[in-house]
Amino acid sequence: MKDAPIGLLVGWLAVALASAPFAAHAHKLRERGAPVAVADTPLTVTPSRDWNRLDVRLGKNTEHWTVDGEQLNDVTFFAAITPGQPLVRERSKKREPLPRFTKATLLVEVPELLETTWRTYKRSGSFQMTGIEPGRFLGADGVHFTYEFVDQDELPRRGEARAAIIAGKLYMISFEAPRLHYFAAGIEDFRKLADSARLP
Amino acid sequence: MITRAFLAACVALAWLAGAGQATAQPALVPPYTVAYQPVGVDEIGWWREMDEEEAVLAQSDLVIRDETLNAYVRKVLCDTVGSDRCNAVRIYIVRAPFFNASMTANGTMRVFTGLLLRVQNEAELGTVLGHEFGHFENRHILGKFKARRSGTDVLAWAAVLGSLAPSYDVVRTYRNLEFSIYGNLYRYGRDQEREADRLAIAYLNNSALRPQAASQMWDNLMAEAEASARGRGLKKPKFDAIAFAASHPPNAERAGYLAELARPDAATRDDGAERYREALAPWLGMFLDDQIKLNDFGASEYLLQALAQGGWTAQLHHARGELYRMRGAPRDLVNAAQFYADAIALDPAHAEANRGLGLSLLKTGQAGAGQAALQRYLDLKPDASDARLIRMMIPDQGAAQ
Repeated sequence: MKDAPIGLLVGWLAVALASAPFAAHAHKLRERGAPVAVADTPLTVTPSRDWNRLDVRLGKNTEHWTVDGEQLNDVTFFAAITPGQPLVRERSKKREPLPRFTKATLLVEVPELLETTWRTYKRSGSFQMTGIEPGRFLGADGVHFTYEFVDQDELPRRGEARAAIIAGKLYMISFEAPRLHYFAAGIEDFRKLADSARLP
Repeated sequence: MITRAFLAACVALAWLAGAGQATAQPALVPPYTVAYQPVGVDEIGWWREMDEEEAVLAQSDLVIRDETLNAYVRKVLCDTVGSDRCNAVRIYIVRAPFFNASMTANGTMRVFTGLLLRVQNEAELGTVLGHEFGHFENRHILGKFKARRSGTDVLAWAAVLGSLAPSYDVVRTYRNLEFSIYGNLYRYGRDQEREADRLAIAYLNNSALRPQAASQMWDNLMAEAEASARGRGLKKPKFDAIAFAASHPPNAERAGYLAELARPDAATRDDGAERYREALAPWLGMFLDDQIKLNDFGASEYLLQALAQGGWTAQLHHARGELYRMRGAPRDLVNAAQFYADAIALDPAHAEANRGLGLSLLKTGQAGAGQAALQRYLDLKPDASDARLIRMMIPDQGAAQ
């Protein structure tokens, strides 16, 4: 019985340690109307509604935003990807290398770059580009594209993305959501978010 | 002392429970039961669970529902295991670019498209389908479930009883017991795989297909794994050794015993390579595209070379061009342009090859020739999904927009 307080202390410590990862993954609110920098880069966006910035990052130059959870509506920013870099961090450089953005990458190849990255990274069995159009992004000539894919969870999703290559670096913003309900429900908010993106 | 004696008894029990059933004898095809129904609470429960899983799978967007392809794969299964047996199974072709197939307790067979891309004839496909069917016919999943339950039961009781006499000796004995039981469970699983392999070869021996193809398939897979590792600068994989927790026997061992068990007098049989190529032809483009976009240069190049053994086609040249262009080093782009040109030489109306050629030439500084190729792409496929963007890359066309 003498040991009880120590046991209690150890118990509390265990609880505190167990809950520590949750504290580390504190998500941040991105409030409507407040301009905010993305992925520690000069790229800023002014959200037209409240978003949650998830603390989980797929890579150094990426940032994840969502409303209801990343499986339901997922905005991914790829900000200032430099030549030689993959879009997201490789799980294993040797065993699971990802395709890289290079100096020679053409704008028309950017959708393919995202597709091959996701096919390896998300192990999407089925991925289909549905439209690739020229369009403006960050005040430059860019590409707007749409796609459909099925992930490991076998939930069919749709995606829409905009990308531009500015001063040799790739900027891209994508929105992915389940085909049923969530894509249509969130796409307008995403488009407004993409429209608000600025580079100084 | 009682506890230690109990633990020792547990070790012996676990050893017996997990003792392998592998023998060198070729398996005989077991007697067939029409419309087998699950027996006992465990099996009935498993089947119910799998029925629910199958209902979800049947709705999945990853399932390829094409009637002709499904009928063909079913025919190969029926040709392998016999037309009476194959009715017990529902086949689902799942779009996933990996070499795999699986079987559940209730007879749901998943066949991955990556498997269809890799096998080269009906006999090789029959080997895999027969293997999966063997798991079903010998109720392996139920056996594994029961073995796992007994093993973990022994461990749970050992933990309870061991805690009555906590000493270093008991803890050490418990750890040994744990390793022994888990090791035996994994080995039990591998022995089931060996048994399914032996059944597959028994079905093939009884069929009209060439059973020697079974070991050939494993040889090809090992060569592909080697090519993949070489392409990534990794060490040559070991095919004769496995990890403690490996689910399958080593590939080299499988190739060895499958070659041994194949009926020697059946070596001259037809393996159905031509029929297989014909049936796969409408799907080859999609399966190749899925493979090439996996970013595994060595394996994709190996597969292309294997597919081209019967001669290079425009489709294969184009796929090779895509593979090289996507890797994208300057030397790759030069090669890619050549492969696209080879494809166009065989099929001048191949729109995608013209696109690839145009992009590769643009990236190697040959703007004029590149734009001409892109123009041909637009002429051949004016409603392509990226037509407007490509048009902007051709100066005259871009100005017209």
